[in-house]
Amino acid sequence: MESLGHLLSGFAAALSINYLLYAFAGCMLGTLIGVLPGLGPAAGTAILIPLTFSLDATGAIIMLCAIYYGAMYGGTITSVLINVPGEAASVVTCIDGHQMARQGRAGSALGIAAIGSFVGGTLATVALVVVAMPLASLALKFGPAEFFALMVAGLCLVVGLAGRNMLAALLMTAIGLLFAMVGVDPVRGAPRFTFGVEELYDGFGFVPVVMGLFGVAELLLAAEKRQTHMIEADLKTWLPTRQECRDSVGAIGRGTVVGFVLGLIPGVGAIVPTFMAYVLEKRVSKTPERFGKGAIEGVASAETANNAYANAAMVPLLALGIPSSPTIAVLMGAFIINGITPGPFLFQERPELVWTVIASFFVGNVLLLILNLPLVGLWAKLLKIPFSYMCAGVLIFCVIGAYGLKQSLFDVWVMLGFGIIGYLLRKLDFPIAPAILALILGPMMEKSLRTTLEISGGSLAIFLDRPVALALLAIPVIVIGVLLFRPASLAPLRTSDTD
Amino acid sequence: MRQGRLVATGAMLAFCLFALWQSLLLPLTDRLGPGPGFFPFWLSSFGTLLAIVSLVSIYREPPDPVTADEVRVLPHGPGGNRLIAIVVLIAATTLVMEIVGFRLAMLAFNAALVVALGERRWLPISIFAVLGSFGVYYVFTTWLDVLLPVGWLGF
Repeated sequence: MESLGHLLSGFAAALSINYLLYAFAGCMLGTLIGVLPGLGPAAGTAILIPLTFSLDATGAIIMLCAIYYGAMYGGTITSVLINVPGEAASVVTCIDGHQMARQGRAGSALGIAAIGSFVGGTLATVALVVVAMPLASLALKFGPAEFFALMVAGLCLVVGLAGRNMLAALLMTAIGLLFAMVGVDPVRGAPRFTFGVEELYDGFGFVPVVMGLFGVAELLLAAEKRQTHMIEADLKTWLPTRQECRDSVGAIGRGTVVGFVLGLIPGVGAIVPTFMAYVLEKRVSKTPERFGKGAIEGVASAETANNAYANAAMVPLLALGIPSSPTIAVLMGAFIINGITPGPFLFQERPELVWTVIASFFVGNVLLLILNLPLVGLWAKLLKIPFSYMCAGVLIFCVIGAYGLKQSLFDVWVMLGFGIIGYLLRKLDFPIAPAILALILGPMMEKSLRTTLEISGGSLAIFLDRPVALALLAIPVIVIGVLLFRPASLAPLRTSDTD
Repeated sequence: MRQGRLVATGAMLAFCLFALWQSLLLPLTDRLGPGPGFFPFWLSSFGTLLAIVSLVSIYREPPDPVTADEVRVLPHGPGGNRLIAIVVLIAATTLVMEIVGFRLAMLAFNAALVVALGERRWLPISIFAVLGSFGVYYVFTTWLDVLLPVGWLGF
């Protein structure tokens, strides 16, 4: 009941003209980012951070969240029309969506994707309202030991889902954590790994690093191998037929549940819920042979799960301060840039901000539906922008984003350096997601561990005395153990790098 | 690919060893508990161990079954030229940005990049270059309050 009261106040603020405009602009830009092949939500959200520099904290977060879920939907358009996922979570949509486009049903595919995204996103936000506050209240009872264990669990789940690359993912986590150690020690204030370089006293900027690893690296990969063959789709009819809607109802319901539940688990990534929802739909279908040949349920389930996941993934961030994917880590970075620390205290200290942002999720979902159904044709036209202009345009934003935060060209060099590193790591099949999460969680992990050890006088036995911490530390051990000896049928399940 | 992974993991091992050495220069503990070197020391030790295990594991993998062309990691051919053009142009722009200013640096960057990526029509190139430099500068500095460098010539 308390949540409902806060939510209504949040709506009052979120529906003010300024915040509506920010949400609208975020949805437009996010969809644009999602549409452009090669730029995922993480890179898109990161490169658009400079647009929010002049906004107040609430407005900035509203806009960046709208960019995030706009990008999650935008990726569908490229999946359907050119069989190239605009972002990793749309990979599954390619399977049936592109087949539908080849059969002249692109409009139906995009229409049901928009409807499924709206339903999944909205229902997941309702569940977020119900779950977030009790979870935050529970987390308020956590001490540093529990928080340290929670962060270790989150990181290990990301690593565990790296499949056959688990060893590489562990190594990338360690490297990410080591990069997070650069700068002033968060407990004693002593400089570390700075080598007298003044710019390193604040550590590596999260924005330039993410822009490099995702934005620049993705452009370098895209520049190396040019794409794309677009289907000249008939988009005059963008509403699915009555029969198609009937066929999709169950898929949308199941996709919402799968997306929301998996979104609550830190580290799962967006691709796993879409894949699971698709597989589930195929299992329950009376005609599974239609899947892969243009079954609308395949598109509906994957897209619904995708957006339900996107909204549910905000729960661990808002209630626990734990990012569950690189894109959420970018959003967490944006919170921190604006002087806000996500986590259980946020609901006590800044209730007006957190509930306005949550209310804006509902508003954003409606805006996305309004934007995406009639504007499908416009978004499809954007796919015809030549790569040369798209690449240069994105790089302008990257340079401004890296420079603008601290007016430092050093950060532009950092972005370029991490761009080259990211390009090489992608080509060599090293997962980047664990390193990004480690980079943002590193300082908090260190602070929690050191505070815990100060309390215990240096004894690690404190983790044995605290059952919640012990249980949280047991999760990664069990998950990694199970995955190391998993059946071969689970092998393809991997976390995505872009989300 | 296997060779590339070996080199990359070797570089990560070197990085972890360097971090280990640097963390040993910091106090591992102090009178209150763990010191500034404590977390980096254990992390770099763990990273070193993982890098060694990874190196051994990659070394023991069978050689790549695909043709040599498919496993080339470093950029090559026309795609490689486009990639190198992007990197060189970002580096050059960063070098000159505080000297000539954001607008002139980005004007040159935009024009050079779209040409390097295959565009040959001068009118769209010119329009894009001007909008992407002077236009973007105006929007970011006037509407979004983002400070961007101004060079010696006042641009």
